[in-house]
Amino acid sequence: MTPIHRSRQRMTAVALAVLLLTLAACSQEYPNSTFHTNTEFNAAIDHLWNRLMFFGTLVFVLIEGLLIYAVFRYRRRENSPVPKQVHGSATLEILWTAIPALILVFIAVPTVRTIFETQADAAAGSLQVEVIGHQWWWEFRYPELGITTANELYLPVGRTVNFELKTHDVLHSFWIPHLGGKRDLITNRTNYLWFTPDTSMATKVQNGFCAEFCGESHANMKFRVFTVTPEQFESWAAHQASPAVFGATVPAAAPPAAGTAADSAAPAAAAASPAGATPVMLASAGGFTFAEADLPRYARPMTPIPASIRRLPPGMTGDPVRGQEAYQSTSCIGCHAIAGTPFNMANIGPDLTHVGSRTTIGAGLYPNDAEHLAMWIKNSRAMKPGVVMPTLGTNEFDPVTKLKISSGLSDQQVADIVAYLMALK
Amino acid sequence: MATIAAAPTYAPSTAASNTGMWSWITTVDHKRIAVMYLYTSLFFFMFGGLEAVIIRTQLIAPNGTILNAEIYNQLMTMHGTTMIFLAVMPLSAVFFNFLIPLQIGARDVAFPRLNAFSYWVYLFGGIVITMPIFFALAPNAGWFGYAPLTTPQFSPGVNIDYWVIGLQILGISSLAAGFNFITTIINMRAPGMNLMRMPIFTWMALVTQFLIILAFPAITVALIFLQFDRFFGTQFYAIAAGADPLLWQHLFWIFGHPEVYILVLPAFGLVSEIIPTFSRKPLFGYPVMVYSGILIGFLGFGVWAHHMFAVGMGPIADTMFSMMTLLIAIPTGVKIFNWISTMWGGALRFTTAMLFAIGLVSLFTIGGISGVMHGSPPADLQQTDTYFVVAHFHYVLFGGSIMAIFGGIYLYFPKMFGRLMNETLGKWHFWLYFIGMNLTFFPMHYAGMLGMPRRIYRYDGGQGWELFNLISTIGSYMLVVATAIFVYNFFRSRRSGAIATSDPWGAGTLEWSIPSPAPEYNFAEIPTVRSRYPVWDIKSSEHGAHEIPHGELGEIHMRDHSMDTASTEVEPAPKSAKELGIVLPNNTVMPAIAALSIALSSLGLVLMRNENKTVGVVWSVVSAIMIFVSIYYWMTTPLEDEH
Amino acid sequence: MATTAHAGTVDPHKGHHYTTTGLDNRKIGLWAFLGSECMLFGTLIATYLSYKGKSVAGPRPHEWVCAATNVVSDSPIANCVGQMFTPILDIPVTSASTFVLLMSSLAMVLSHNAVVHKNVPKNTFWERVRGSSKLWLAMTAFLGMAFLAFQTYEFTSFYHEGLKLSTNLFGSSFFTLTGFHGGHVTFGVLWLWTLFAIDVKRGLGPDDATNVDLLALYWHFVDVVWIAIFTLVYLIK
Repeated sequence: MTPIHRSRQRMTAVALAVLLLTLAACSQEYPNSTFHTNTEFNAAIDHLWNRLMFFGTLVFVLIEGLLIYAVFRYRRRENSPVPKQVHGSATLEILWTAIPALILVFIAVPTVRTIFETQADAAAGSLQVEVIGHQWWWEFRYPELGITTANELYLPVGRTVNFELKTHDVLHSFWIPHLGGKRDLITNRTNYLWFTPDTSMATKVQNGFCAEFCGESHANMKFRVFTVTPEQFESWAAHQASPAVFGATVPAAAPPAAGTAADSAAPAAAAASPAGATPVMLASAGGFTFAEADLPRYARPMTPIPASIRRLPPGMTGDPVRGQEAYQSTSCIGCHAIAGTPFNMANIGPDLTHVGSRTTIGAGLYPNDAEHLAMWIKNSRAMKPGVVMPTLGTNEFDPVTKLKISSGLSDQQVADIVAYLMALK
Repeated sequence: MATIAAAPTYAPSTAASNTGMWSWITTVDHKRIAVMYLYTSLFFFMFGGLEAVIIRTQLIAPNGTILNAEIYNQLMTMHGTTMIFLAVMPLSAVFFNFLIPLQIGARDVAFPRLNAFSYWVYLFGGIVITMPIFFALAPNAGWFGYAPLTTPQFSPGVNIDYWVIGLQILGISSLAAGFNFITTIINMRAPGMNLMRMPIFTWMALVTQFLIILAFPAITVALIFLQFDRFFGTQFYAIAAGADPLLWQHLFWIFGHPEVYILVLPAFGLVSEIIPTFSRKPLFGYPVMVYSGILIGFLGFGVWAHHMFAVGMGPIADTMFSMMTLLIAIPTGVKIFNWISTMWGGALRFTTAMLFAIGLVSLFTIGGISGVMHGSPPADLQQTDTYFVVAHFHYVLFGGSIMAIFGGIYLYFPKMFGRLMNETLGKWHFWLYFIGMNLTFFPMHYAGMLGMPRRIYRYDGGQGWELFNLISTIGSYMLVVATAIFVYNFFRSRRSGAIATSDPWGAGTLEWSIPSPAPEYNFAEIPTVRSRYPVWDIKSSEHGAHEIPHGELGEIHMRDHSMDTASTEVEPAPKSAKELGIVLPNNTVMPAIAALSIALSSLGLVLMRNENKTVGVVWSVVSAIMIFVSIYYWMTTPLEDEH
Repeated sequence: MATTAHAGTVDPHKGHHYTTTGLDNRKIGLWAFLGSECMLFGTLIATYLSYKGKSVAGPRPHEWVCAATNVVSDSPIANCVGQMFTPILDIPVTSASTFVLLMSSLAMVLSHNAVVHKNVPKNTFWERVRGSSKLWLAMTAFLGMAFLAFQTYEFTSFYHEGLKLSTNLFGSSFFTLTGFHGGHVTFGVLWLWTLFAIDVKRGLGPDDATNVDLLALYWHFVDVVWIAIFTLVYLIK
């Protein structure tokens, strides 16, 4: 077999391996893939990428081909003569300066065009969303709709959304790979990013990530994006803009924000039932939401619960009314706000007005169910490294202070608070 | 300092012994300093590698549990910091120290004691920055430590203190070495060695040193601000005072991007020595290689903000930095084409060194191509801060720098230690590195483009990243095995490798004209240089009759006694400096003491902030006095004996 | 780092080694060092300029600022309610100190000249004055110290007016920049007194020209940096 033959074989093998990997990358489900045209923003990026990949492959094949050819062709053999002592060639030097320069022009022109296209101001009438990064969770506000929520975004398809990106503390980066490129959240600055989810994205879930290292729980700063139909979005928004649906003590003082058609049954029902009365479960009345059970596998958190936290006794059920009392008489109100209650000021932790309607807790770290929520309340610091929220469960070991909590919440109190929060649909 | 004429015999006033621990601590010989750099930086290379393998093991499958978030972040930060500042930069310094004087025909560097000082500062700085990891207090904000995460508000602990002062100390080492090598190359070349006859490694070293002295001040200032914020209450990065976090990013990357070329240009230089040697042809397009290196250095200062395309600089800045970045691909491509053309029509010998050099050409190409990909800002918005970038810079730094450095070690081992490394083991090392490297880093391209952010200590299953992470981790284990083979080969060859002749490879540059290992005085008489490959002009390699007609490459006038017997296997032991009457610098411990005092005085700052203020102040004052006393003795003691 | 470039200043080996350029190694090394220093001061000055006007709290460098209305003016604002940020830079005093530092460069030139022409016979009183290296080295050092005294006065008065290192972005960047420059002047003064001491002990002659030349190069550089700082920080509003 001649060396050239062998080289060809090896090249084929390498090409095959790369091809197989690429195929593997396409055949399976890749929920966070960046190769898509799900938004016009990413369509532009994808177009550029294809061009970069084409020229990249061209250069790669050319250089590696020449190299492999040289390696096999010019192998030193017995009694090889001293090779001709060539010092260079001006023609060749000019050639391999000019050709790459030409290729770069083909890359530069669409690059510049795309830069200016994607960084223009967002179209008028786009949906405004304020994104505020916190260590380590996301605050989302829809200023025109009067909505404040956390870690879950609902976006109507076919409408441009304009994100106003800010951070409360250190730098973060807002990234939904399956919708478009990222943009950093810079302290003392405001950044913008806009795109339009394609109508084909209706009723789908995307993962969002923090892409800029932001400290201990950087890996645990995720969020979910629900791209929904305009009708679903209306329904969701109307409900989210309304005050808390359970035990709202001053419903009259918190009318639904202007421009939203809140499902009036919910707050009315809550207002009609005075504290202590049978709670009205409003899951069905809470406007459109994605049920946790409907989440595809890739959007369902799979973080194991740390073994160190003691679970609630089996069969223990909580009472949401007692839970509301417990919530309002403990430190919860110092950090979390619930609209429609007197305790609506704090902004240190996520807004809990409709926490029961979310699919995850801890910034996409755990599913939002009674079990996980109970564990979270008892010992969030063991659940997620570095969180500010104190350890609350009696007899829980605080991993930061290295102390056992002697006078915290009892298991029954935790169960009650969980029942209350889960009722906040 | 080189002496050109043969000096009269002299008797040194201090009988400097060349064995024992003390002789190493006090040495000012550039070759022994190079050896110390080699051992230290290989140690740190393996330490950083160990950190990487632990990281990879954590990421082998979703929800890894061997590390918690804090320890992962410390390992991730230290892996980057260690590899860049404690492994690759000093591994290049091994060759700067060892080769520059030998390639330009000098007896030592311009400031031999400053050279020793650079080494000791590096060692103690490395210890300061590495030690805390044994107490789980290592720096934990990533290797580029973005403010405001590193400010006392968000990182109140001692971790970042060590990072700041450690990097400051290492900066002193690099800067001192930079001034030293620039002076050496500009001012100490042998007669006849004009700039365009200078070996290409020395050229790349010169460009690198200019990058160091011009780029390091930016990070020095950025770190001074952070240091003052942490220790003296300034507000440079304090968000409540209205600080702009982009200040840190700009300053860091004004240093950080030239730093990439600081890491990779010496590698280009080494490859440009290896490929002509084993192709038995002069470097193709030598002047273009020189100019492209200089151009890369220049452009390297104009592209820093391509690390910041996601921060929202606006379309005009994005465009400018993008165009500059694309431009840099041209001189880099030119280098690759010239290397291939050097091989073209040559008589290639696939020694381990040559394999590593070819490895660089093939792997760096991939890193260069992915570099152009994120030189386009819109595309970069999907790529930055993902594993795609991790893949890219490992192709540049592992596929580029590390490949060339190991090639360089195999090439220059005989000149350093007088013995050859085992080629069979060397080839195992190469192939395991080549395959393992691709297994480790190629899948990261996929993971990144499929949405995996970098610097995460755990990830959920079902994201489509499992396979790529598994392959990466397996690849990293191959790299460990290969490194173990190298270490075994190194120490075995050091003890019982084949004895090397003065020019075991049939290379052409000046360092191959002197015996192996290089005698303490390098050149018995300073040669006069007439061409780029003087050794090829006057002798033939023992691997075949490669006699080149006289005059084609010029000629060399060399009266080195070793040349008379160069073509035979056995060379007589070279005479000592004393026998030849060559005056060499005296050993001194003052640079080591000065370096130690600098490290200690900075630790005083950490004590001041975190423990006891009084103790810290006293500690700093005492070590500051030590600095002044040691430098006073250093300054007032003559370098060499009178002659 | 400054000390490392200083390496070998008192080295007895000067001049008689072969070098490629014919220049002393230390001179090339010092040039490289000063190149690096340009980047250092360039970065410090750029930081000061980019933070100018960004301070959330006063005092400010040049303008009167009304914190309540954010109105900026060259003179006190009449109808400001609440906190007023007062301007702080005193240009007349700094002009004087700048003049002192410029004069020190002149004295430095005369020192070098005196050392180089040490062996030229001096006949008149003025020739003896001009040829006294001790006089001019001491003069340079004293002028340098006068500059430092001005700086100390400036820093103290700023401190009393409420501007500290930790007050605001202006305080942090101003004190760090000018403090670094002051540190360089201090190092130069120490270097000057060292050479003065050697001059007193054994007398400096033409053989020492390189030693004085190195110091002069450093001293002029520090001077030029000050001109840049004075222009960019003090004069431009």
